[in-house]
Amino acid sequence: MSARRHLRNEPAIAAVFELPPGRYPELSTLDLYREVLSRALAKWPLKARDIDGLLVPPADMAGDHPDILMHERFGDELGLRTVLSETMFAGGASYGLMIQRAALAIADGRAEAVLCAGAGKFPRLDEAGRRSMSKIFHPQFELPYGPTIPAMYALLATRHMADYGTTPEQLAAVSVAARAWALRHPHAYMRSRGEISVEDVLQSALIASPFHLLDCSVPCEGGGVILVTTGELARRISAQPAYIRGMGEFHSHGYQSQTDAFNISVGTREAGAQAFRSADMVPNDIDVIEIYDAFSAMPIICLEDLGFCRKGEGGALVASGRILPGGDLPLNTYGGLLSYGHTGDASGLSMIVEGALQVMNQAGARQAENARAALVHCYGGMQADHSTLILSREA
Amino acid sequence: MTEKPLPAISAASAPYWEAAANGKLLLQYCAACARYLFYPRSWCPHCYGGALEWRPASGRGAVHTYSVVHAAPCVGFEADAPYVVAVIDLQEGPRMMANIIGCAPETVRVGLPVEVAFEKRGAISLPQFRPVAA
Repeated sequence: MSARRHLRNEPAIAAVFELPPGRYPELSTLDLYREVLSRALAKWPLKARDIDGLLVPPADMAGDHPDILMHERFGDELGLRTVLSETMFAGGASYGLMIQRAALAIADGRAEAVLCAGAGKFPRLDEAGRRSMSKIFHPQFELPYGPTIPAMYALLATRHMADYGTTPEQLAAVSVAARAWALRHPHAYMRSRGEISVEDVLQSALIASPFHLLDCSVPCEGGGVILVTTGELARRISAQPAYIRGMGEFHSHGYQSQTDAFNISVGTREAGAQAFRSADMVPNDIDVIEIYDAFSAMPIICLEDLGFCRKGEGGALVASGRILPGGDLPLNTYGGLLSYGHTGDASGLSMIVEGALQVMNQAGARQAENARAALVHCYGGMQADHSTLILSREA
Repeated sequence: MTEKPLPAISAASAPYWEAAANGKLLLQYCAACARYLFYPRSWCPHCYGGALEWRPASGRGAVHTYSVVHAAPCVGFEADAPYVVAVIDLQEGPRMMANIIGCAPETVRVGLPVEVAFEKRGAISLPQFRPVAA
């Protein structure tokens, strides 16, 4: 029995646009949004009357005054009258879930063209910003113990290493591969730094064991927009749309100390299984993989929980060279958050843009051969929110 | 945040912090589910029953996982770095976060047997864990 739920109206990513990740000191977050939208809309054959949905994340989540009505701000600036508009936030999973909301609205016949946009600063935090970021930790049962975001993710890495023998060298192999891909992307933030070796990663400063500096994503600023439309409209805009063929979503714990397991990403396993089921595909059908890599250990754990190898074999998989350019499991082909850049509140967008570009055959020097299907897995919070997308050349 | 943060105590957790001030670790227990809970809250997250009892915990456990923090999150923790943030498997079943104190950070391992110790911080007493004396 095929479990595939065919989506009506062939929802697809019709076009993508992203600012080069970098530092934009002269631009506020709102200015970054304006830059993203004005540059994208100047390129795309769209008028306000063509757009009937807008999904954006709140602005300045790391600051003291996040703006939680961004859809109203930009609905106004763009002169939109929409059937679907919302400021939604699930950390790094926000954009994946926006694409899913947009695709379902299109499949339901309610919307035809939904803009999913975001921009983010990655502020050098003052004490006020640090207070605000600390909201992601339990105020009584985590915060007093001095946790950091790297340490919270390191808790997963440590347990995975203890249970499966995963090594620091295997973690480093993820960072090394990310840099190798970044060197093929004209806009990757770390491109100018050249290639890195496993030794370079292991010799960089310890941040929170087992993570060294080069096991951690690189903070920067940026933003972008993804246009999700009916297949019919997408084919008018793009010679090869990226059809949204499978989707999965799962939400597990909120606070990291409440997770069910530290050696498994439960949400990845559940969202991934749903996405494969809805696409009627198996991991072997995937040609390009994009996995949120805030820290080097996460693609290892997520590759296992998505079914690309057996549990515990992710370390050996990433160290085998298969994820490098030219390998048969191209992973984070834009350079990942590790080397392309972690663009603050916009960080879950780059990997969807890349998955779409690969499927659209527009990825330039980093184009994977015969990229018929791409899987994009994003998570947010402390591994709380999960989105898996399967993009395909065929609806 | 130039000092270490103090917990914002809620109605549901007040007995936990009162016991800690007296050097005791208390856990909530759901009789309907026959299981201990952590963290303290107003209902059992398994059966939604509100009849939770407070029971004294053994204070014994083992390190489930940990990280040695070298880059401190704020000024208050800078003098302590490197320090250990860990998740403890309590003998009663639930897990809780704590620092591992009273030993060199590099001696901490997954599975290390630990026991509760209390750190005075301002007006409160914070449950921490240290290696069980051999």
